[in-house]
Amino acid sequence: MSKKNNSDSRSSSKSFLQNDGVKSLLSSLISILAGLAVGLVIMIVLACISPDIKASHVLKGLRFLVAGPFTGTHAGTNFGDMVFYATPLILCGLSVAIAFKTGLFNIGAPGQFLMGTLVSLSIALNINNSDKPVAGFFVWLIAVLLGMVAGALWGCIPGFFKAVFGVNEVIVCIMTNWIAANIASWVFSTQKHLHAKGKGGYLIKTGETGNMTPDLGFSKLFKGSYVDLGIIIAIIAAVVIYVILNKTTFGYELKACGYNKDASKYAGMNEKRNIILSMAIAGALAGLGGTLYYLNPGIEFNFNAAYMKLPDYGFNGIPAALLASSNPIGTIFSALFIRYLAQGGDHLVSAGYNRYVADIIIALIIYFAGFANLFRGILSKKKSAKEGK
Amino acid sequence: MSDYIIEMNHITKEFPGIIANDDITLQLKKGEIHALLGENGAGKSTLMSVLFGMYKPEKGEIRKNGEVVSINDPNDATALGIGMVHQHFKLVEVFSVLDNIILGAETTKLGFIKKKEARAKVVELSNRYGLNVDPDAKIEDITVGMQQRTEILKMLYRDNEILIFDEPTAVLTPQEIDELMSIMKNLAKEGKSILFITHKLNEIMAVSDRVSVLRKGKYIGTVDTDKTSVEELSEMMVGRKVQLVVDKEPANPGKEVFKVENLSIKSKTHSKNAVNNVSFSVRSGEIVCIAGIDGNGQSEFVQGITGLEQLSSGKIILDGEDITSKSIRYRNTHGMSHIPEDRHKHGLVLDYTLEQNMVLQRYYEDEFSKGGFIKFDAVREYSDKLIEQFDVRSGQGSVTVSRSMSGGNQQKAIVAREMDREHDLLVAVQPTRGLDVGAIEYIHKQIVKERDNGKAVLLISLELEEVMSLSDRILVMYEGEIVGELDPKQTTVQELGLYMAGAKRDDGREAKHE
Repeated sequence: MSKKNNSDSRSSSKSFLQNDGVKSLLSSLISILAGLAVGLVIMIVLACISPDIKASHVLKGLRFLVAGPFTGTHAGTNFGDMVFYATPLILCGLSVAIAFKTGLFNIGAPGQFLMGTLVSLSIALNINNSDKPVAGFFVWLIAVLLGMVAGALWGCIPGFFKAVFGVNEVIVCIMTNWIAANIASWVFSTQKHLHAKGKGGYLIKTGETGNMTPDLGFSKLFKGSYVDLGIIIAIIAAVVIYVILNKTTFGYELKACGYNKDASKYAGMNEKRNIILSMAIAGALAGLGGTLYYLNPGIEFNFNAAYMKLPDYGFNGIPAALLASSNPIGTIFSALFIRYLAQGGDHLVSAGYNRYVADIIIALIIYFAGFANLFRGILSKKKSAKEGK
Repeated sequence: MSDYIIEMNHITKEFPGIIANDDITLQLKKGEIHALLGENGAGKSTLMSVLFGMYKPEKGEIRKNGEVVSINDPNDATALGIGMVHQHFKLVEVFSVLDNIILGAETTKLGFIKKKEARAKVVELSNRYGLNVDPDAKIEDITVGMQQRTEILKMLYRDNEILIFDEPTAVLTPQEIDELMSIMKNLAKEGKSILFITHKLNEIMAVSDRVSVLRKGKYIGTVDTDKTSVEELSEMMVGRKVQLVVDKEPANPGKEVFKVENLSIKSKTHSKNAVNNVSFSVRSGEIVCIAGIDGNGQSEFVQGITGLEQLSSGKIILDGEDITSKSIRYRNTHGMSHIPEDRHKHGLVLDYTLEQNMVLQRYYEDEFSKGGFIKFDAVREYSDKLIEQFDVRSGQGSVTVSRSMSGGNQQKAIVAREMDREHDLLVAVQPTRGLDVGAIEYIHKQIVKERDNGKAVLLISLELEEVMSLSDRILVMYEGEIVGELDPKQTTVQELGLYMAGAKRDDGREAKHE
């Protein structure tokens, strides 16, 4: 930020606190602490009214929630899993974020996620390379690329309807979500040779066909965790999206359309093309999320449930993007943060709280993290009031 | 008892990077019309926001009838009898005039609104002050002038004693301005005290008792209107001598640059054409002005020729080439510059920085990009050059977020961008709307310079003075048709007014087409 017009007397004391980066970090920390405080209150209240939970469990619970993932013998595995589960979340967060920047609300990430899954799994499971690792890698690569393409095409549908007919993208997204879910269930239910034996409703894993995501030795490093190459791809995707949005003429157009459609039309930009392209990129990212999640050798796809329940990762991309104010790099951290809390929630169960309570507390913390902007406003106000005196 | 009903003493209000009000004192006598004069960004709006409790000043005090009062929010201001007519009205479009007036101040009985009493009071006020408003008409059906009178009634209904008018004439036709002036005089006669925010000097001379002038956040002084002159006021406001009359040589038109033939555009609101069978041409080195009362098809016409709106029939020719079905970008890059009517809707991406807006049509050109990546240094350099050259003022220069700039400087930025782009035709729609004399003088000079450099200028303006002083030829648009072509040197404002109101039309050109 340039501050060349500030009078000199004030600028020295102000520069640190007025720094935008410091301000947002501080406000994020405050909001997380506030969320934890509310979570603690709920834990105390539950301890008081529930006969199963003793008062001593409260502090234990808080310790488990905050430090649980990173203490004890499973710390390595837990950390690795946090990173693994954050991978699809980062990608879905990016998907929502880039659409937001163009002024669109991509609530269709679950459907795009599923279409990516459908196409990539169809490729990776139908070709057997279990003893040919090099061929397996290339099939995996093709599966990843086509998974992205499938997501992109699925994202184009709401983009197309919005751009050409002016139909609200939210409606089309919701409809395409359910169409994708039913297609996925239907297609996989007919492919009987892919069904896992002795486990109704599940597909076999990519580990069995050899077309899985390389783990680059991560799983050894993190003691049997799922973590694999996917996280690197997600981080690269975040950097690429950041560069597109902030450094290129294409990103300049996308953001201009998002901020002011009329002005970008006036300036001669093709706002219809930009809407469709933005949704295609968003779809590709969500599709990549589904692809990387299910191409992991240890994750299995439940095709029986797919038509009843949309994947959480698609929806959780929305808070991941919002927590990061749609900043692509910030989305990496917000996704990791959400998964960190989820891991803590798993540990809360061992302190006597049930799984549902854990989810409520996590939701509350995320909710408060969303107040970061409010706290930022309060911080700025405090500072300007001080300077006034 | 103090002489003054409201005193704002030594008010200082700072924002990051800028001191909006620097030790400003404003004293309003009871029953006077006090004009607050200043350029855009001089601090008038900030000062009024302080009076309304929307900003807390760092220093200074506010007194009412000599006693210090504390105004923390607009409710405090209302309780003290301060009312305001905003530049953009705060009315519910689908409600009636009466409903809008009582909104927020309803007197009720058992939860039911006592409309009859409210109505009687509104009618009585309307008659007493000569406001002439139908209480049952819906806001969306009445004229802008009547909407403004509804706003005035809102203040009177609440028994406000101090009435603030924020640039009230910006949206009015000449006749409506005259009416407003007499209403304001009436109000003052009845004992109301009026603060009149404006930068139009002739209005100040016509209606106010005293004038306080602000410049760049500082208080310059207060003078009695009858002891000052337009020249003195404009010098106080701008800080230098201002040339109020456009100084230009006779036009020296060359070849035809721009031509429209039988252009028609369908209306979005009614079945008639918004623009009907319009044909004319503009030559290089001349300023052709389309005059008319707001809403007679000028906006649609401009959107049609610039490509924002579909034509239903007709032909547009620029530099001898038929561009009727060309894209907006094609027009932008083949000789058309456009200063749009609505700078917030079309002219700027408000959340972009000033430099990003400076290259709004050119970001992809080789000068500013390479391989799809923006050359930030080149953009900054170009933006700094335009800012310097066109004197665009802002808190932080090129990186200022456009939204935080004053309206006048936003407009200057657009003018800078459009004039610097390569073009043969400049379409300027109300280029000086809402600007102060300094900026108007500057923009008028630039437009004349354009003309003298051999550009064709198509000016669309609602300001009669601007039309008369700037143009070389005047075309009057009435209900979507060109009803007359006038020579500004041989016509009068009165005659122009008759054409604009549809009371007179040339029987020649237009009639033949029908």
